[in-house]
Amino acid sequence: MILEVDAVSKRFGALTALNRVGFAVDEGQIFSVIGPNGAGKSTLFNVVSGLFAPDAGRVRFRGVDITGLPPERVNRLGLAKTFQITNIFPEISVLDNVRVAAQSRTPESGRLASLWRRPDVDGVACALLETFGLGARRDAHARDLSHGEQRYLEICVALATDPRLLLLDEPTAGMTPGETRDATALVRKVVLERGLTLLLIEHDMSVVMGISDRVAVLHFGEKIADGTPEAIRSDPRVIEAYLGGGDD
Amino acid sequence: MSVLGWRALLVFALLAALPLVPGMSRYYLLLAFDALLFGAIAMSLDLLMGYTGLVSFGHAAFYGLGAYATAILMERGVQSVWACVGFAVVVVGLYALVVSYFATARRGIYFALLTLIFAEVVYTFFRYTQTFGGSDGIQGLPDATVLPGLVIDTPTRKYYLVLAYLLIAYAICRVVVASHFGRVLVAIRENEDRARFLGYNVPRYKMGACMISALLTGVGGAIYPMRSAFATPDLMLWTESGEFIISVMIGGLGTLVGPIIGGAFFTILRDKVSSIVDWYFIVIGGVLIVIVLFMPRGLLGLRRIFSRRAAA
Repeated sequence: MILEVDAVSKRFGALTALNRVGFAVDEGQIFSVIGPNGAGKSTLFNVVSGLFAPDAGRVRFRGVDITGLPPERVNRLGLAKTFQITNIFPEISVLDNVRVAAQSRTPESGRLASLWRRPDVDGVACALLETFGLGARRDAHARDLSHGEQRYLEICVALATDPRLLLLDEPTAGMTPGETRDATALVRKVVLERGLTLLLIEHDMSVVMGISDRVAVLHFGEKIADGTPEAIRSDPRVIEAYLGGGDD
Repeated sequence: MSVLGWRALLVFALLAALPLVPGMSRYYLLLAFDALLFGAIAMSLDLLMGYTGLVSFGHAAFYGLGAYATAILMERGVQSVWACVGFAVVVVGLYALVVSYFATARRGIYFALLTLIFAEVVYTFFRYTQTFGGSDGIQGLPDATVLPGLVIDTPTRKYYLVLAYLLIAYAICRVVVASHFGRVLVAIRENEDRARFLGYNVPRYKMGACMISALLTGVGGAIYPMRSAFATPDLMLWTESGEFIISVMIGGLGTLVGPIIGGAFFTILRDKVSSIVDWYFIVIGGVLIVIVLFMPRGLLGLRRIFSRRAAA
């Protein structure tokens, strides 16, 4: 088991964003969290990645209790995340975006020598950009990329920190159905090649069903189901949440 | 020397030849001293403003503390440049450690305000207590010595002292911005939240940038009394910090060279206009408004315009 989320709760004022949510992700799995808008998916990711400390419950990653650790510590343990709203470094080049992420894992990082040494991470950075078809765009400013390219760059930046567990928060947000299909296939291929564990948030149920080993469903901050894609598809509570109570 | 590049070395060689220009007077050499010193400090501030995205309103305190460090030692008979600079590094370093620790715990406008408040406390102490001469500061200092027998007593020697400081400070800044550390600073400027998710302890990097910028500024301050023979609390006034910021802006943020030009331009403009009219700051203000409005990339941005015209 690489990640264990145990009875996590998070409140914002009167709103309970997460209510005793728990699940476990095995090494090498593709695990998806789905649910209608406002179900608490992004909050869950923010708790796991260290942006918010939960009000109750524990999060364990590779056997270490990471509950309440800040994002930089969690990342250094081998967990990288992307954001639902594209979150890159806009005014520097595409290559520099990936370089600054990749150099975070060099021996200089965090040491005094980082003041005068410049680690050569171009090999890793360029290989990542090639994988996601951004090789030709590496000298462009990140802000000048198209929406789809920025979504890929976002994933490259996260992967450059060489994580064991990758959290993708709606990586295909804003993509057309065709782009979504390509992106999903590409992400799956990269994750399998690198032997990564993937925790994926998706809004669109059809995206995850084809690629996930396991799916958990959130609804109004509670986990209402957790199982294989087949079991989830036929679960009456899930159908009710998506077709009845949910907003889409 | 490879960090500097041939163009920078050429510029430094030309600057080194300045005292040899026929008709170069004492007045112009000392004006050149002031221009390069101001430029070097603006460059140091650019590490924070242009690269890290932090605006410090308190750099005058680093500058003034450096000047007082030299003045206090000289008053007690220590004339060595090395001892004065070393003492300034210690004094400014300790102060900067406290300021940067508290200021970098806050973001945006709070960082600017905290640096300002700390600097005002330091100013008030030097201005309103008699410990170090009150509003008169420390006056009538002797000439500094580099080595026994080598005294910084002529305008030419003073000029070479500031040129050596500028060269070293510039080389340090160039190395830092090109380093692992420098890349993280730019990432923080661009998107500090995202930088945290890449494993970077953002406050610690900001603190590092503050310390380097403050120490370079403090060393500049330590050199000032070696030219003027005094240190006064006015060096720490917030308007001084404002002039550093303006110099960075008019030169071009995040370029190092731009702020040097900006600081030198500002110093020379102020000197020239103030010798003609009393209300010189209105004239300078007008010039600065034009630059900020019509040259958003600063004076260094002119380079692009000219190179584009040449290409067309």
